[in-house]
This record gives sequence, structure tokens and C-alpha cells, in this order.
Amino acid sequence: MSGLRRALIGLAVLALLIGCGSAALILTSDHASPRGLALGLILAAGWSFAFTGLYAWDRRPGNNVGPLMTAIGFTWFFQGLAASNNSVVFAIGILGGNLSYAIIVHLLVSFPSGRLQDGLSKIVVGIAYFATVPLQIAWAVLTDPTTQSDCEGCPTNPILIGGHEGLASAVNFIQVLSGIIAIALAIWVLYAHWRRSPATERRVLSPVVFTGGLAFTILLTQLVVGELGGTSALKDVFFAGAIAVFTLLPFAFLLGLLRSRIGRAEEVSSALTIENAELNAELEAKVEELRASRHRIVEAGYAERRRVERDLHDGAQQRLMALTMNLRLARAKLGEDPAQAGELLDEAMTELAEATAELRELARGIHPVVLSDRGLRAAIGGLAERSPVPVEVLETPAERLPAPVESATYFVIAEALTNVARYAGASGATVRVARENGAVAIAVCDDGAGGADPAAGTGLRGLADRVAALDGELAVRDRDEGGTAVEARIPCG
Amino acid sequence: MEDNRPVSKSVLIVDDHPSFRASARRLLEASGYAVVGEAADGAEAIAAAGALEPDLVLLDVQLPDLNGFEVAERLAALGADRPEVVLTSSRDLAEYGDEVDTSPVRGFIPKSELSGETLAELVG
Repeated sequence: MSGLRRALIGLAVLALLIGCGSAALILTSDHASPRGLALGLILAAGWSFAFTGLYAWDRRPGNNVGPLMTAIGFTWFFQGLAASNNSVVFAIGILGGNLSYAIIVHLLVSFPSGRLQDGLSKIVVGIAYFATVPLQIAWAVLTDPTTQSDCEGCPTNPILIGGHEGLASAVNFIQVLSGIIAIALAIWVLYAHWRRSPATERRVLSPVVFTGGLAFTILLTQLVVGELGGTSALKDVFFAGAIAVFTLLPFAFLLGLLRSRIGRAEEVSSALTIENAELNAELEAKVEELRASRHRIVEAGYAERRRVERDLHDGAQQRLMALTMNLRLARAKLGEDPAQAGELLDEAMTELAEATAELRELARGIHPVVLSDRGLRAAIGGLAERSPVPVEVLETPAERLPAPVESATYFVIAEALTNVARYAGASGATVRVARENGAVAIAVCDDGAGGADPAAGTGLRGLADRVAALDGELAVRDRDEGGTAVEARIPCG
Repeated sequence: MEDNRPVSKSVLIVDDHPSFRASARRLLEASGYAVVGEAADGAEAIAAAGALEPDLVLLDVQLPDLNGFEVAERLAALGADRPEVVLTSSRDLAEYGDEVDTSPVRGFIPKSELSGETLAELVG
């Protein structure tokens, strides 16, 4: 058993004993009236605050609510001491008799955390303690209880400084006024707190707000009625109501506190929901990226087909058209001018050779046969040879790779070398393709101007999509030593 | 070849492919046409038509700037001095729908069928 729990059990036994002591004092009191109601109020409210407070303290040791409730329970028994026929005990009861109300105010405005959250709450609690400690002491010192209408049979006041009736009345007036202000402000703070709370927190606050609000309203009315001089029967009605409500109040706090435990579970659940939503958003972003990438790949496919059509139309087709016309003209000239016909046929053969070369180049752009026939090393060698910028091939894998990987690697290098020739202003470039940790690492570096923007053109972005389709990555960066590096990494078990 | 073809008809050839322009020039000149100029795009064609005042413009549909139909519209706006226009393309007539019919041109000749005779059939 922990030290705290042992201490709490000790406090519980103490509360039980003090309660019994208070009951004995009330039952033997010459002035407590009505005795039954007083006994009910002291024991029911005192014990319920003390025991529920100790339970709350045990369950939530880090929260001030438990200690505050326990303190209310113990200070509540001061009211029992005021029933004593012994003047010293009676005086102690009078001095501390109202302290529990200030602690209730403190608890209400700080619930459920047990901490005072804002300036207004601190002011309210300050007024409550001011009214119930220094003003109460001042009042007790200045007032002779035997002269009070509701204290018939009370013992003499051992701490009385007599002869200041006017001052005593003034202190009493300030005390009641402070009490009314503190209670009214506490009700307002409680209501404001409840109003701005989200639904889950309201579940925690509701029992406390309604019971506490009711208790304070009764207390307020009791104070006002007392000041205005209500009948004894009316005062008894409020007294009975106060017993009921103040007995219920600690259970309301306990219920709220337990709900806040449930609330914590809901907080965890809510955190999980948020995490889930974040994961969903991440997933949706990935899906969106995939959708965009797929769209770009389809678009790139269309663009590629348009390029092939354009290349065919502008290249081989035009040459074949010219060839047709030259042949037609040669045929017409065959009889009348055989020499010119011969020249036309020579031209036709040149056109035909160029058309064939263009078709071969076009076919290589669609799919390089050398790649499928002889692999990456030969295909990259061909790219290096055809490049107008001198290219040094540093490394290529000796073994064959899966066809999609070889194809993507080839086109990354082809596009990168085309960009080097077109834009880099480089005097040379290097190509390196190596197998590293289950992936193919591709690097095309040049010694040109750098500053390549991969977002500017469609070529590299299309290649990035092509590489991403194989779960790979492509990056373009400026090299520290100058020039541009196009680097790609494609998984390749 | 037909004897009644207008041998002195002046022609402007508009095409962005030099090899086609060269072959067409040779073919048309062999058929008795006077090729007075060549243009590689629409803007150049409109300027050349204004300057050279050819009787006939052999106009490729696919040009780098304007397309052949737009150039034909601009040439038609020249009024009484406007040249006759014949469109040509390496594509088939069917690929242009009814655009050829609704254009201010004399007709369309696929490039593969271009000759002095096919041209004379359209422009007389």
C-alpha cells in the first residue's frame, strides 16, 4: 500500500471521528437549532465531501480537486464545533465556520483541473477567502453572540472585544456583501466556463454546474433572506434545501471527475481519430499524386504519339513525297532528256537513303533495338557515340537487368544527354550506371552552366514519372564543382 | 500534257519543307508553270503574294505559324487581285472534313498526286 493511500485512510478515520464528535456536540448543544436539521447538514455534507474527496484524491493524486473536496469536508465540521457549549470550542467553530464555503467557491471555479485558470477566477476566490477568514475573524472578535437573535443559549465569546457594535455591524455588512458578490461571480464564472466548453467537457462540467449553481443560489437566497429578516420557517426551508444540495454537491464533483476520466479516454480516442484522419489525408495525397502521375504518363504517351506522327510527317513522309515527285518527273523526262532523268533518279536515291535513316532514328526513339538485343552497355555506348558533346561512360553493369529497368535507364540517359547537348553549354559529360544495394544507380553529370530546372520541361518530368512507376526516384541538382547532375535510382532486386 | 494549259501561269509555292518546294518547283516548271516565288510559312506567303501577285498559290495546309485555311482566308481578302489558291498536304482530303469545301480555294491536291496535270484540272 502506498504512503499516500495510508495517509488518506488515516484522514478518512479522522473525518469519521470528527463527524462523530460534531454529532455529539450538536446533540448536546444548548443553542443549535433546529438540532435535527443541523445534525443532518453537518454529518451528511461533511462526510460526503470528506469521503468523496479522499476517494477522488486517491484516484487522481495529481489533481487538486480531491484535496479541495477533503478540505471542504473537514472545515465543514467547524460548524459542528460552533454547536459546542464550551466557549473556546464554540469560538473556534465560529472562526472557521464559513471557511468551507470559500473552499467550495475555490473548487467550483477551478473544476475540473483544480487550478485557477484566469484572473476573474482568482479574484472570485480571493473575495471568498477574504470574506470567510479575515472578515470572519474581525466579526467574531467584535460580536457578542449572546446578543444575536439566532444564538439563544450560546456560550460567551472568549475573544470578544466589546463596545464596537457599530463596527461589528459594518464588518458584518461587508462580509455579507462580499459573500453575495463572490457567489454571484462564481455562478457567472461557472456558467461562462460551461458555455464555452465543447460537448465532451460539458459532460464533465454539467453535474457540477447545475448542483453547484443550485447550492450557491440557495446560499445566496439564504443570505439575502437572512439580511432582509425572513421568518424562521422560511429559513428552515432553505436550511433543509441547503442540506440536500450540499450533500449532493460532492457526488456531483465525483461524477464530473469520473466523467473527466472517461473524457480522457475519449481524448485518446479523439487523438486516434485525428491521427487516423492525418493518415487518411496522407494516403489521399499519395493517391492524388499517383492519379496525377498516371495522368501525366497517359499524357506523355499521347504527346509521344503526336511527336512520332510529327516526326514521320516532317521527316520520312516529306522525303517520300519529294521522291514520288522526282520519280514522276524522271519518268516524264526519260524519253526526251535521259540525262536529266538520271539526275532525278540519283536525287531520288539520296532522298530514299535519308528517309530510311530518319525512319531508323525514329524507330530507335520508340524503342532502341540494340537495347533489347545487346543490353544497356551497348545501347549506352551508342548514345555516347551519337552525342555531339563528348561523353565518357564510366561504368555500366555487365549483366542484363529486367527489361523495364533497362528501358527506363536508357531513356533517362538519352534524355539527360539530349539536355546536355541542347542547354548545358558543356564541354563533356560522364555516364555511370551501377548496381548498389538492390537498386540501379544512374548518374549523368556534365561540366556546363548548371541551373537546370526539372519543372520547366516535360522531358525530365515524364522520365521522373517513368522512374516512379518502377518505385524509383529521379533528381536533378547543381554539382558543387559546377555543371548539372541527373541522378536516378531504380529498385532492382 | 494538255495543249490548252495556261503555260504562262505564275505560281507561288508555300511549304515549310525545302525538299518539297524544290521538287514541286521542278515538277511545275517542267509542266510549263512559272514559279515566281517560294514561302516557308503563312506570314511569308501573304507578304510574297502581295509583292509577287502570282496567278496561283500552291499552299500547304500544315505550316509552322498559320494553317493553310487561315492563309487562304487572308489571301481572299486581297480582293480583285487575289490569286487562285490550291491547297496541298501529305494527308488525305478526308482528314480535313468539309474545311476544304468551305474555304475560298479552288481545290485540294494530295502531295503524292501533285503534277502539272492535276493542277491544270483544278485551275484550268
